[in-house]
Amino acid sequence: MSASGERPETDGTKIRIEHLTFGYPDKKPRQTNIIEDLSLEIRDREFVAIVGASGCGKTTLLNVIAGLLPTSTGKTSINDKEIVGPGPDRTVVFQDDAVFPWFTVHGNVEYGLKIAGINKEERGRRVARSLEMVGLSGCETLYPKQLSGGMRKRVDVARAIVTRPEVLMMDEPFAALDVMTKASLQEQFLGIWSEHRMTVVFVTHDLEEALYMADRVVVMARNPGRIAKIVDVPFDRPRHRDLKTAPEFQTMRRELGHVLDANGEQS
Amino acid sequence: MATAKNNSAAATGSKLGNLLPKLAIPLVLIVLWVVISEFKLVKPIFIPPPAAVWKAFLGLAPLLPQAILTTVAITLAGFVIGVSIGTVSGLAMAYSKTVRVYLGTIFDFARPIPVFALIPLFILWFGIGRAPQIALIAMGTSVILGITTIEAIRNVPSIYIRAALTLGADRKRIYTTVIVPYIAPHLIGAIRVAAAASWGLDVAAEFMGSQAGLGYLIILQQTYLRTAGIIILVVIYSILAIFLDTIIAAAEKRLIPWTERRSSMGAVASIVGNT
Repeated sequence: MSASGERPETDGTKIRIEHLTFGYPDKKPRQTNIIEDLSLEIRDREFVAIVGASGCGKTTLLNVIAGLLPTSTGKTSINDKEIVGPGPDRTVVFQDDAVFPWFTVHGNVEYGLKIAGINKEERGRRVARSLEMVGLSGCETLYPKQLSGGMRKRVDVARAIVTRPEVLMMDEPFAALDVMTKASLQEQFLGIWSEHRMTVVFVTHDLEEALYMADRVVVMARNPGRIAKIVDVPFDRPRHRDLKTAPEFQTMRRELGHVLDANGEQS
Repeated sequence: MATAKNNSAAATGSKLGNLLPKLAIPLVLIVLWVVISEFKLVKPIFIPPPAAVWKAFLGLAPLLPQAILTTVAITLAGFVIGVSIGTVSGLAMAYSKTVRVYLGTIFDFARPIPVFALIPLFILWFGIGRAPQIALIAMGTSVILGITTIEAIRNVPSIYIRAALTLGADRKRIYTTVIVPYIAPHLIGAIRVAAAASWGLDVAAEFMGSQAGLGYLIILQQTYLRTAGIIILVVIYSILAIFLDTIIAAAEKRLIPWTERRSSMGAVASIVGNT
């Protein structure tokens, strides 16, 4: 696809986070920072999963990369340029339902393209292609209220990828869905990602999901939020759903679980 | 889609069945009215018999067209001015934080003021006639709209703003594509409330020294203790109010097709349905 052709084929660093410390200014003195001295490099077109117990700052980290929260101490950069605010090069699929109820499916997916000033014809083409990728062709004229939760999430994904962002951030995107919908969306998204390589930062608390989807899994500890361990996922792609029940997968999952347990319960 | 169709089909099916319980209490009241007047249980001056009301209607009939015209003109003028002021300041407050600080405080202050208490002041300022009446209605309705808009802005879910920001939207675009669409249903709801309130404001305004209109006729009927005439005029006011409300409700459906209507089926509907 032309999406990857527009950018030089490098395996360099896409996102660099150096000694990031984040805390709300009005916090009580004895409270720890949400994130303290966190450094992480995410390579171009890498699929990184961030896991951790709730309250470990993984969503905060994502919001900092998205530019929705300021970097209080430390440096965050994308393509070696400092992140100062949100931008269409970094789109987000949020955990909560963020589909605009007042626009149709087409209007929602088209949103970012309209802002980018792309003409109507091209917009129509790309919206159709994007909806096809998430399996929602023919739903253009429906309003979100007419869709199921899983379908709305797919609109969300379509809206985030239609602008061909360099970095796609996903904040527990499938957490609210039932097990079967979740599994099918995971596979669908892996399919999309293998076709349109982009950098993905995928926040989840589901270890199976993290291992199944990602190249690397970053385990975070809390109080204060920091990196406990980074694990390379060795499984070949394309991955099949049977991988989830393979012994080596289960072993890794167990080990990660121990890391998570050791770092999640101290508070 | 299929379920939506089924729901609406079920809704129309149950509409006829629902009509009877809805009409039950009004029917009982009418029967009660006839019984009371037939057996002269209450003095006719308090509750006049149906025949007297009909007679009163015939007596009032020649005066009605002019009175209705006057009242509708005053009420609509006040309503339109009030809604315009309220909507414009609401949208301005939604857009600019500065405007929000200045106007928001004023609307917050105006909220608890009993508008009717201002009538003497309005007459003092605007003289006797239509001007103070229109001003009163405009003031009352604009406050309703202003307050509702501020509340709606305060409640815009941040998730939509965050989503728009990450897709590259700037302030202006977030205003037109997130804030305004989000507050639109609240605004239209407020317009409906304001429409209903404007008739009440008109009655109050006409009670204070007017020379024409339905409210003025009510005062006349009261002076001569013609209870039946008052009933007629109240009914006319109600019909006018229902008419205006129906128009706005129809516009609402066309303007904001995306709003979620609660299904008429299931456990939730069994608790809060048919309201």
